[in-house]
Amino acid sequence: MSDHAIKNPHIEAHAVAHEEHPGPGVYLLVAAILTVLTAAEITVFYVPGLQPVLVPILLVLAAVKFAFVAGFYMHLYYDSKVFTIFFGFPLLLALLIVLGLLLLFAHLQGVLSFTIP
Amino acid sequence: MRLADRLKRNVPALAIATFAGGALGACQPYNAPMNTLSTQSDLAKWITSLYMQVTIWDTIIMVIVLVAMVLAIFVFSSREGDPGEPSEHESDLMLELAWTVGPALILVFITVPTIRTIMKTQPTKWPADTLTVEVRAHQWWWEFDYPGLKIQTADELHLPANRVVDIKLYSEDIIHSFWVPALGGKRDVIPGQINHITVVPQVPGEYYGQCAEFCGLSHANMRFRVVVDTPEGFKQWTAAQLAPPVEPKQAAAADGEKIFKNAPCAICHQIRGISGFSPQYSYGFRGPDLTHFGSRGTLAGSILENTPENVALWIQNPDKLKPGAQMPTLGLRGKDLQDLVAYLESLK
Amino acid sequence: MAAQPKTLEYEYPNYLQDPRGIWSWLTTIDHKRIAILYGVSALFFMMVGGLEAMLIRAQLMVPNNHLIGAAIYNELFTMHGTTMIFLVVMPLELGFFANFMIPLHIGARDVAFPRLNALSYWVFIAGAIFLHLGLVRSLAGMPDAGWFGYANLTERMYSPGINIDTWVLGLLILGVSTLLSGLNFFVTIVNMRAPGMTFMRMPMFMWAMLVTTILILLAFPALTVGLVFLFADRFLDTHFYRVSAGATPILWQHLFWIFGHPEVYIMALPAFGIISEVITPFSRKPLFGYPMMAYSLVLIAFLSYGVWGHHMFATGMGPIADSTFAITTMLIAIPTGIKIFSWIATVWGGRLRFTTAMLFTLGFIVEFTAGGLSGVMHASPPVDLQQTDSYIVVAHFHYVLFGGMMMGILAGFYYWWPKITGRMLNETIGKWQFWITLWAFNGTFFPMHFLGVLGMPRRIYTYAPNMGWDFWNYFESINAFILGFAFLLFFINLVWSTLHGEHSSADPWDGRTLEWSIPSPPPAFNFVTIPMVTARDAFWVRKYGSVGAHGVAPAISGGAAAAPVGAPAEVHEHIHMPAPSIYPLIFGLGLFMAALGCMIWIRLILIGGALILMSILGMVFEYPTFGQFNPEALAESTLGLDNRKLGMWAFLGSECVFFASLISTYMVYKDRNLGGFDAMILNIPLTSFSTFILLTSSLLMVLALAAVQRDDRKWGAIWLFGTAFFGMIFLGGQAYEFTDFVLQGLKIQTNLFGQTFYTLVGFHGIHVLIGVCWLLVLAFTTAAGKIGKDRSLAVEIGGLYWHFVDIVWVVIFTLIYLMRTVKHA
Repeated sequence: MSDHAIKNPHIEAHAVAHEEHPGPGVYLLVAAILTVLTAAEITVFYVPGLQPVLVPILLVLAAVKFAFVAGFYMHLYYDSKVFTIFFGFPLLLALLIVLGLLLLFAHLQGVLSFTIP
Repeated sequence: MRLADRLKRNVPALAIATFAGGALGACQPYNAPMNTLSTQSDLAKWITSLYMQVTIWDTIIMVIVLVAMVLAIFVFSSREGDPGEPSEHESDLMLELAWTVGPALILVFITVPTIRTIMKTQPTKWPADTLTVEVRAHQWWWEFDYPGLKIQTADELHLPANRVVDIKLYSEDIIHSFWVPALGGKRDVIPGQINHITVVPQVPGEYYGQCAEFCGLSHANMRFRVVVDTPEGFKQWTAAQLAPPVEPKQAAAADGEKIFKNAPCAICHQIRGISGFSPQYSYGFRGPDLTHFGSRGTLAGSILENTPENVALWIQNPDKLKPGAQMPTLGLRGKDLQDLVAYLESLK
Repeated sequence: MAAQPKTLEYEYPNYLQDPRGIWSWLTTIDHKRIAILYGVSALFFMMVGGLEAMLIRAQLMVPNNHLIGAAIYNELFTMHGTTMIFLVVMPLELGFFANFMIPLHIGARDVAFPRLNALSYWVFIAGAIFLHLGLVRSLAGMPDAGWFGYANLTERMYSPGINIDTWVLGLLILGVSTLLSGLNFFVTIVNMRAPGMTFMRMPMFMWAMLVTTILILLAFPALTVGLVFLFADRFLDTHFYRVSAGATPILWQHLFWIFGHPEVYIMALPAFGIISEVITPFSRKPLFGYPMMAYSLVLIAFLSYGVWGHHMFATGMGPIADSTFAITTMLIAIPTGIKIFSWIATVWGGRLRFTTAMLFTLGFIVEFTAGGLSGVMHASPPVDLQQTDSYIVVAHFHYVLFGGMMMGILAGFYYWWPKITGRMLNETIGKWQFWITLWAFNGTFFPMHFLGVLGMPRRIYTYAPNMGWDFWNYFESINAFILGFAFLLFFINLVWSTLHGEHSSADPWDGRTLEWSIPSPPPAFNFVTIPMVTARDAFWVRKYGSVGAHGVAPAISGGAAAAPVGAPAEVHEHIHMPAPSIYPLIFGLGLFMAALGCMIWIRLILIGGALILMSILGMVFEYPTFGQFNPEALAESTLGLDNRKLGMWAFLGSECVFFASLISTYMVYKDRNLGGFDAMILNIPLTSFSTFILLTSSLLMVLALAAVQRDDRKWGAIWLFGTAFFGMIFLGGQAYEFTDFVLQGLKIQTNLFGQTFYTLVGFHGIHVLIGVCWLLVLAFTTAAGKIGKDRSLAVEIGGLYWHFVDIVWVVIFTLIYLMRTVKHA
């Protein structure tokens, strides 16, 4: 492409986006954390005393694992924030859809009796 | 010349004026049995009052937009030799705020009565003397059961005036929608789910209803009537329905009863004491209860008036009158057909 | 406008002239030619859909009419809706106008992924033909369950024919096409804008398309999931919508309208954009309230995801849900109102020129307002109970879709046709067409408001006399035929003007945006030099100095004032446009055959699959430079980011909604299961092991990426093979798990748990399988020494996909496996 004389400050502002990715050291550390978290999840599942708080604990642990993979393995933490927006907005929407459907069907389940012809 | 030009530019406005005139005409309750504005129940009145409020706001906004458009078109159309330059107005904070906040306020005026009406029209508790009616939708006819009264009928729903009615909606196959405009809005009839319409019919009379959710081939032929009786009238009707089927008096009707029993009719159609529904032979398809068939005004999903000629036509070729109908063509003709019709019509 | 020589400024052939021949059209990847292909196809289907509409009106002209009959009537209204939405409005707006104009508006030479663009077209054609397979009457007839295809009418039990199969598969294919287009255009608008074209300097049409593509990416997955369930019910005998197994057909309505309401805006927003472009030159004013116009688009899009329930007020969702959806729906009226008032304010104070394009634009504003206002009525649930499924709804959405979208499309045709073909459309015919359309449209659809109030239900093939409906039906039918005549004028105008119309200059309307700065029709590479943008209305500023300036129109309008600097012949040497490719066509063919195989001959699926695989591999290895790090392209991109990586992230965003739909189905059906196997069958030790395997594979993946980024090809290959190997272990575990369940007696048909479990976990498994294949291709190419630092992005993108599969598993493992005892709904 010919005319590189035409440069524009707008580009420069974003040009920092392609930052260096972390090295193997960070990756190994993240892997260790993920292993520990998964072990914790499975432990929680098997401990009878934790059953009442099973759901919140598991949800938090899963969210943390999710964040570690997305943030470090998928480099959202290091890369341009554009990617975070690209992924975060749909994720938020997906959560809202799941929540909405659960609430709507909870109504169907509870208020209306269900008959099988 | 100028005037003609202006008129030409105004074709849209003229057209809309014409249509508005038409609209006024259409709202007259001239022979329009499904008219949503001829309200005969509490539910229908609430809905119509809300509808009117929304319509007024809608009209105001439409008029504002139209006037602004027409003015803009008149004032700013470019003419030959026009020296003026367009304005450079690109934005105006106050104006933009006005047309953001203004509509928002109007929406508040619509939303508040809307939510009130929602709460009013969807009760979860019913008074003790509520009449419960179970509506069962089939492809393509309506069955009406009164569990408290042990009455089963089809095509024609009888309700008493001035009493709370809880209409419970069941579907035997797919999704339908129960709609009697004069008594209020529709509700979908969904298999595996019981929906309710709670309504107090206020004026005795005969009202038209129709399935409103597309339900296959003969969706258009899934109609019914609602007869709102006076309380005494409803009592009489109940008594008549509870009576056993009439013994045939004429010879023709007596022959007809034999034909009914021997022909496949009896597999799907119940006449109390004469025949019962047998699912194993009918592949699960059930036809309307015919115990008091002769007392009904219509038949076949209320697409035909209940006259001997129409009954004969229907029996001869159901599929022609109602495409996809489950009722088979039996090939009855001549005297057999006449006898069967005579019997059915005798079941008052 | 005086006649001007066609290409005054350049000696380059335009995009239509070079290369020639039918092969060049089959293999083209030029966005302008693909737009023409879309346009011609969509105009053809517009005729089909229009004829269907007129047959519908002919049947309804008089009561108790026997002209067509119930069966064909139901096919006609189903196909009229499906055709107009998926084969006319969307292809015209997205495939035709957006495809042609996005690169021209933002100052780019093509879209981000030109071959993907061609692929979208051929997949679109495959789906369009597939939908019409039923025309071969011996098969089964056309689909006949409505464009909304409500379950459980669409179940095999109630619709035994293969006509619904063609509908399901056809829509799935069209969904693929639309999703890929959306992805492509999204990345193009985000990352290929000319220097200086910030978001707030983009033409409003670009804003509209940006938001539309986001809607596509996040709405279509819900439809795909709904259709997959229906497909499974019809072909695999599952029970997603079958009451007898405890399921509810309402699930279809939720999934369909989660897609369906954003879909309304997928059709509406491009028309808003076209209108915003047409209204400014003919008012000789910049767009009023540009920032608010842009923000209101975003707000409409966001709100459109929270309103799907307003299509379901009659289904009994309960007072709380009814009120919530009523409020969110009403909120949409605010940004829509801002748009309408801003358009009027743009006209206000202008110097209006009533070209045909402008007339359609003004028509749009009035008719769309009318449609929007009746929408406010339906937004109120109690009122909606009287109105839904009656003709007042038909009136409402035809005011929106015809009075709105179609008028916008027609305005676009009259406005952009000179740029697309180099010839003006005839204005005299155009004005006749406009006035006839305006009359006949209102004559056809306004009385439907009355019919709705008089209680006429929708989708009925016949009605009794003396219902008060006779006169208006007759009146509407007459007007519908007049409307058909107006479209006949349009088609005559298109054909005649393209052959004999007045030649157009580069800038016939004294336009404001960049497409008018290049010749009509443009050369294949659009811009000789990529323009430098300093303000909104870039071309206007270049012509007259500032946005508000109104200088006398230049002697040679447009082109001369915008003559590029630099010697054109010298520049031409450097413009490399990508080479044509036949693989997109092969992909479309393969998808068509695979879908056909589902219905008639199972082995066709293998042949179709082989064609698809061949085209994918063909596209990967077609160009020797494919995937290489290109610093020039990166420097020219708007964000300084690679298109492919942006595209992958956008795709993963779309996948979120896909898996969300699957997961919510699992959760809402979990407690409706009618006994038999349930979540307690799940093998926690095995899947815990699988989880560790998948997490380890993700570690190997990032190690591979780090190695490749160091240009360490040997270790890159080793780690990649390792990742693929661990992926295979995971798949092996899953195969064991599924086999074990089947042997225990839990099949996909067994119960609600079985079907939701197998589809959710199975779709994840398919993703893993695709990932493993992808990894193996990467590993072998790396081992062959082809992937080093210069192509490390290929590994990075493959890795993003792989890690996404991993995080989906994190969610599934928690929600499905570890929370197996928890009640969800």
